[in-house]
Amino acid sequence: MLVLSRHRDESIIIGNNIVVTIVDIRGDKVRLGIDAPTEIPVHRREVYEAIQRENLRAGSVEPKDPREMAEKDRIKSGK
Amino acid sequence: MCAAGSPVDFGQTIMRIASARFGPLDIDPEEVILFPEGIAGFEECRRWIFLADAENDAVAWMQCIDRPQLALAVVSPRRFVAGYQARVARRELAPLELETPHEAHVLVVMSTADGVVTLNLKAPVVINLRRRLGRQVVANGPLPIRFELAGGVATLKKTA
Repeated sequence: MLVLSRHRDESIIIGNNIVVTIVDIRGDKVRLGIDAPTEIPVHRREVYEAIQRENLRAGSVEPKDPREMAEKDRIKSGK
Repeated sequence: MCAAGSPVDFGQTIMRIASARFGPLDIDPEEVILFPEGIAGFEECRRWIFLADAENDAVAWMQCIDRPQLALAVVSPRRFVAGYQARVARRELAPLELETPHEAHVLVVMSTADGVVTLNLKAPVVINLRRRLGRQVVANGPLPIRFELAGGVATLKKTA
């Protein structure tokens, strides 16, 4: 992980079009401002991961498709 | 009628996919809804079609074209959750190119496990039918990712 120190009101730029600014620092809470094209979703990580897990759960395929079963077996055996 | 998979007169090919849930499907490109960033966990799944459930008219299926093993059950949230309102940041909806809020069709993903049915009220799927664009967005506030339908599968069948 790249670690950079910033003061309040300072920014970092990711790629050439995503800017993250430290808007406020209060105790152990930091407020971040994010400028990014709207096509790029921006979310709190834990929210994104929870939704990802839920989509995976909702989309779990019934074990009828032999190819999917073969893939599950392959992943399980670590190949 | 042309043979499945062969080009149609208007210059667009009807796609055929081998879906896990519905078997072989002929897909009219006009029916495809594009999710430009896919959905969380399935970012490569950008093209979807919506199919009716054979048995239950309360349920539709989002079938992924890019990954034919994947289909998600979706329902209209207000049918099961009175007064459901998703407050969504403008930024989240901007890529859908909605001209008015009324153009937005809101669905929520349904999961079933061991007879328990849950709805993801936190991350609804919003569709602009006119532009054939869709996105799973994150609604503001403490909405549940797993809202349990009282009565489970039986409730689902009752409202059909």
